[in-house]
Amino acid sequence: MTCSDVQRVLPELLDGAPDGAFQTDFDTHVKSCPACSELVSDLKLISSEARQLAATEEPAPRVWVRIAAELRAEGLIREPQSAPTRPILIPTSPRRRWSAWWLVPVAAALLAAGSYVVSHKPAPQVAKQQAPATSVTSAVPETPAVTSPSVPTSAPQQLAQKSAQPTDIVGPAVGPAVEPAPSAEDQQFLSVVSTRAPSMRATYENQLQAVNADIRETQAYVDRNPGDADARQHLMDAYQQKALLYQIALDRIQ
Amino acid sequence: MTDPKQRITEAEAIEQAKQGHEAAFEVLYHLHKRRVYSLCLRMVSNPAQAEDLAQEAFLQLFRKISTFRGESAFSTWLHRMTVNVVLMQLRKKGLPVVSLEETLDADDEAPRKEFGTKDVRLTGSIDRLQLQRAIDRLPPGYRTVFVLHDIEGFEHNEIAEIVGCSIGNSKSQLHKARLKLRDYLKFMRAEKAKTG
Repeated sequence: MTCSDVQRVLPELLDGAPDGAFQTDFDTHVKSCPACSELVSDLKLISSEARQLAATEEPAPRVWVRIAAELRAEGLIREPQSAPTRPILIPTSPRRRWSAWWLVPVAAALLAAGSYVVSHKPAPQVAKQQAPATSVTSAVPETPAVTSPSVPTSAPQQLAQKSAQPTDIVGPAVGPAVEPAPSAEDQQFLSVVSTRAPSMRATYENQLQAVNADIRETQAYVDRNPGDADARQHLMDAYQQKALLYQIALDRIQ
Repeated sequence: MTDPKQRITEAEAIEQAKQGHEAAFEVLYHLHKRRVYSLCLRMVSNPAQAEDLAQEAFLQLFRKISTFRGESAFSTWLHRMTVNVVLMQLRKKGLPVVSLEETLDADDEAPRKEFGTKDVRLTGSIDRLQLQRAIDRLPPGYRTVFVLHDIEGFEHNEIAEIVGCSIGNSKSQLHKARLKLRDYLKFMRAEKAKTG
């Protein structure tokens, strides 16, 4: 075995189970070659010393406090007796059925838009110039991906198309960072929240701003780097977060 | 504050968290907080930022917990989410984050080796601070695999699932990370020897 051979098999042999085919030759060469012996020794030392950096610190208690506060504010922490026994997307009260049903296709459109953006990789020049408009507005499906059987399709389609307009979630970052105005759908959403659960408006408004900012920034990054599959997945996750926000609100304000 | 002592299993906590039980969320948080925070801290080297990233990872996880079906281990799912949150944060900061499926052959990020490093040996122990500084210099892709394997103790099959690469690629990236760290550490020692 030569030094080059040692370099080639090191990734397999350094940590893994001894491989009879190479192990003997490997051990023989390392014992007789000072350079390879030093290399193997150094790499093992680095690996063993690194273990000392393992989880010795804990996050401050405030981290859990913030997480719990956010979960409560979003309605993810619920009292046991009020835990939902029905699927989130199906309204229970006929009297309130039409008050926020439009959130269902909006949430579905957000998921569909995210899926389209992730699955369709635009050419770089197109991505920089047109991706926001083409990737989002054309993502609206003929029928929403997730709907309640009671939801008609014509009006939701119009609302879903409007919600998919990239007025607040697209565009590469240029110039100073200015918070864009909420979209018509976000404004309508917040208006319903203000009416049904006024104490929650600030929470959802802040969350919408955060998730819209995340979508904007990630979309800008994806426009510049259309080949980055991980970033596209993150963009999908961001759309999912926004859809979850709508769904959680729907469940809360019914 | 709810007693965080673990009186239920992780599987039970997951099911109760799906129902919105605060104590269940807390159990899951305390079970995994150290590893998640440690991963974030080793990746960004900033405690405040690491806390924010850990918080975001847990929040994203808890929002999606109703979708967890047990196809993979819960910790794998959580750490995958954590890695994604951290790497996206690094991307937004403008740091190059190369997909782990790409092979990095260029040695342009390693310090020049000709300044006496040939004679520098890494014998004995390695200064913990120097090691962390060397880790900070690693490209994010290498850093991720190194932190997950050598610091946090994940196996290559788990790393492959967390970061979405092959087992062979995970081993290759780890090896390259260690080689780069060796170069960085030798360079630091050489510099220190020069300055006395």
